[in-house]
Order: sequence, then structure tokens, then C-alpha cells
Amino acid sequence: MHPSKPFFLWRHLNKLRWASLIVVALMLILIPFLHLYQTYNAAHAYDLLAPSEKRIFDVMEFLTDPFTSDPAEDLDALKGTTWSGTFWGLRLSDPLAPLAQMAASLSVYWPFALTALIPIVLTAIFGRFFCGWICPANLIYELNGNLAAWLRWAGFRTGDYQFDKRIKYGVLALGLVLSAATGSVIIAAIYPPAIVGREAYFGIAVGGFGAGMVFFLGTLLFDLLVSRRGFCRYLCPGGALYSLLGRYRALRIQRIVESCNDCAKCNVVCEFGLDPLRDGFGQECTNCAACIAVCPTDALTFTVGFRDHPAQGPGHLGRQYKRESGADFEEAAE
Amino acid sequence: MTRRGLLKKLSAGAALLGIAALPFGFARLLAPAGDRPIPRRIDIANKIKARRNYLRPPGALKSEAAFTAACIGCGLCGEVCPPRCIKFHKSGGGTQINTPYIDASEKGCILCNKCMNVCPTEALTVVKRTEINMGVARIDRAACYPWVDKGICGACVSICPQGKSAIAYKHWNQYRPIVKDGCVGCGLCVEVCPHPSQPIWIVARPEKSKIQQGA
Repeated sequence: MHPSKPFFLWRHLNKLRWASLIVVALMLILIPFLHLYQTYNAAHAYDLLAPSEKRIFDVMEFLTDPFTSDPAEDLDALKGTTWSGTFWGLRLSDPLAPLAQMAASLSVYWPFALTALIPIVLTAIFGRFFCGWICPANLIYELNGNLAAWLRWAGFRTGDYQFDKRIKYGVLALGLVLSAATGSVIIAAIYPPAIVGREAYFGIAVGGFGAGMVFFLGTLLFDLLVSRRGFCRYLCPGGALYSLLGRYRALRIQRIVESCNDCAKCNVVCEFGLDPLRDGFGQECTNCAACIAVCPTDALTFTVGFRDHPAQGPGHLGRQYKRESGADFEEAAE
Repeated sequence: MTRRGLLKKLSAGAALLGIAALPFGFARLLAPAGDRPIPRRIDIANKIKARRNYLRPPGALKSEAAFTAACIGCGLCGEVCPPRCIKFHKSGGGTQINTPYIDASEKGCILCNKCMNVCPTEALTVVKRTEINMGVARIDRAACYPWVDKGICGACVSICPQGKSAIAYKHWNQYRPIVKDGCVGCGLCVEVCPHPSQPIWIVARPEKSKIQQGA
């Protein structure tokens, strides 16, 4: 019997995911520099710029010259962060932004709420893909996780406490309640992707980082010293919202029990502490495809369905399955 | 349920509520003094405080509470601002954290209207240039150079993007500026004023004066 093989490109999706994360991060850095270039351009005063500003001007002019005729106006097409942005007239927002704004103002402003429609539909189809594929904080957290692995290799102790994954839903609820109580979108101050985008802009174009950077560095230390990927797994309010929206996602990862040898590499690489080995994906899976990439026997694949496959027991290539079914095999041999 | 269990649950609940209330309390404590309502009486200290009030970008909701509730702190208004006059409450500001403001003494608004067009929320709404209401300029006639006969100036009148409807000379041959009804409070006059003690500044527009925008 030949178990079905996953499509061969899917084990390379993880590389595409890294590329996507890096592109998003680079855009978040590039956009503030483009903004500076626009302002220099609008001022028509190249000769008055400081040498460092002239360098920014020259580099940005080199980058954008082939695409724009009037940089001061044309570059307005691409603005913003993953929290809220505009791309050639298409306005997109993180679903948490309208939700938090509704909580803060206790009213609905539909033109803004609709900017989250496309992300919500995509999340309903692809699950919590934002966290794994786009979130600029995720890139830093993953690199931070790699740093933790290096530190462990070098003999340092890094934290590996596990908390209840449901805490983040409490954080989401509490954040919304506090937003309503203070009448301010205060949840944006503890939401890492919003912080990273904003602080990149503040640091580059508004003359220095703000308080969000302190919070973000705190979460990095938390991940490093207390709990691996702890903020995303247990605390992130946006992750909680995406998890809820992606609970009945159409595209999900599934284990092919016939090819699985119970090596548990998938459980080790899973950034979100899930249990692919025992078919435990659940609503918190980001479809990041890291487990597919690491699987040595091609036992993980994408599938279409609104629920996870029920637990399938030990993998057929594994020792446990052989031990359990081996008796029959040996009896048959005799 | 045992009495001990009940007590435990109650104290845990109380602790949870207390911890939950902490950020709110901090936010209240950290709110800058300038944003608390200033009592209406003539008072030099308050006048100085009112002078230091930051402006909201053009088209901002009139009520400060409504603006704070509507603004999600995405920074788009700052990212399109050509003179880079829009700044943000980056660390202080309590509940106003990450909301935009304009410090006119540093950089005034040029009324290009880009920010109100890019704002994804209703925090900045699109209004006509003449209906923008960021405040209204006030001139201290005891300090302004032409008003105290210390020479001719006219910097504020020359820079004003609203022209004669907003600020003009009292007499054609004296350079003494007076503020008119057309002033929208962009703050360019504050930016260019050469006087070190800033005899021109922007105050909130009184309730019944001319420009009234919705909400």
C-alpha cells in the first residue's frame, strides 16, 4: 500500500515563508525612509540637507527613480504598517484594529471596519497565517528563538515554562475591556506587530523609539528567559483573535499516519507549541509549514477540510506501531 | 463549596480585578496635565499651559475623547505629512499614547490635507480647507514687535496660508497683525514668529466662534 505523498513543493514553503517575513520587515524599514525622501523632495532643498540626509536622498532616489515621475506624490501609494496601511488605494487593517476601535469608541465606523474584511476572509480560509507568514514581530521572535537555541548549545539555560494557551484569549478580552474603559485603543500598545511597525517608523523618521520598544524588548526577554515563544503562544491578543477567526479554516496541515515514524521533529520545530505528532493542530496552527519542511518521511501535508483529522495513533513506520502490530506479523510468519 | 475555597476564589478574583485595573490607573496617572480641563478664569499659569497645548492634525474630531477613541495609532498621518509636523505621543500621554499631535512652535501645519485623506478611521475626517478647526491664533500685543513699536515684522501675515481672511495688518502702514475669523489654527505663524517669547500661539477655538465642524 502506497501512502499518499505530499505535493513536492510544500516542503519548500517554509523558505517562501521566510522570504515573505523578510520582505514585510524590509518594507517596514523602507517605507519610513521613502517618507523622508518624499519630504526632502517636497522641500526642494537638496543643498540644505545634512550629509546623512543627502545619503538617504540619494539611495532612495536610486531605488525609486525608475518607478516614479513625481516622488513627493507618487510614493504616497505605499504607506503604513501591518496594523493599518494603504497599498495603491487598497486599505488594509489588522482585524484587531477595528475591533479595538469599536471597543474604545463603543461605535462602529464601517469604512474602517471594512478595511479588515480581506484579512478576515483570508484568515477564515488560511487560518492564523498572518502570525506565521506576515507578522514582522514573528520574524524577530523566531530569530530570538534561534538565539535561544544557540545559547542553550553554548551551555546557558533558557526558559521553557509552559503556560495555558488559553491565557491569550483572556488577554484579548481584557485588552478590549480596558480599551472600552479608557476610551483609547490601548490594546495597540501591547500588540507586537503594531509596535514593530510603529517603532520602525518612529525610530527612522520621528526621531527615536517610543515606549512600545521597551515593551517589545521585554517580550523578547520573556521569550528568551521564561518561555520559548511565550508571548505569541500564551499572551498575544492579536494571535488570539486570529486563532478564533481561523478555527474553522479550510486549509490545514494533516499527518499521513502511514508515512510517520514518530520522530517528533515536527513537535520540536513547531513555533507555537502544537502537537503535530499526535494530530493536535487545533485553531492555533499558523500553517507555517515548518513541520512539513522538517519531516524526514514526508508524513505531513496540506489538506482541505474544516476540522482536524481525529487522532490516528502511532505512525506506521514507528517502533510503537511495529511493537503493537508486530505480534501478528510474527505469528503470520510462523 | 467550603468557606476556605470560597475565600480563596473571592481573593483571587479581587486580585485579578486589581491587576486588571492597574494599566487603567497608570494611564490616568500618566495623562499630561494639559489635557485635563482648564478652569475658565484669568490665570497666568493656565494661560502658559494653554499656550503649550499641542494641536491635533487638521480634520481631527472636535472632542478630544472621541479623537482618542477613534485613533488607532497607525502613524499614517505622520507618514504622509510633507513638512513632518505631525508627531506622536511616543512614550508619555497616558491614554493618548501613539496619537498624533502638532507642536506648532516647532513646525506648523501647511494645510495640505494629506493626513485627513489617508486616515483609515474617522479620527481625521475630510473637511474643506477653510473649515479646518485646529484652533485659532492669539497675539500678545504686549510682546509682538510691531505692537510695541520695536520695528516692523509681518512674518505671520506673510506666511499665513489662508491669507487676508485669517490674519492681516490692523492698518495698512503699520505692521501690527490682528487675527480674523478665517484663522484655522495651522500654526505656521507660531513657527515663523521671530520673537523669543512666542507672542503668537494657538488656542482652542471658543464654542460659538465661526468655524464649526461636525462631531
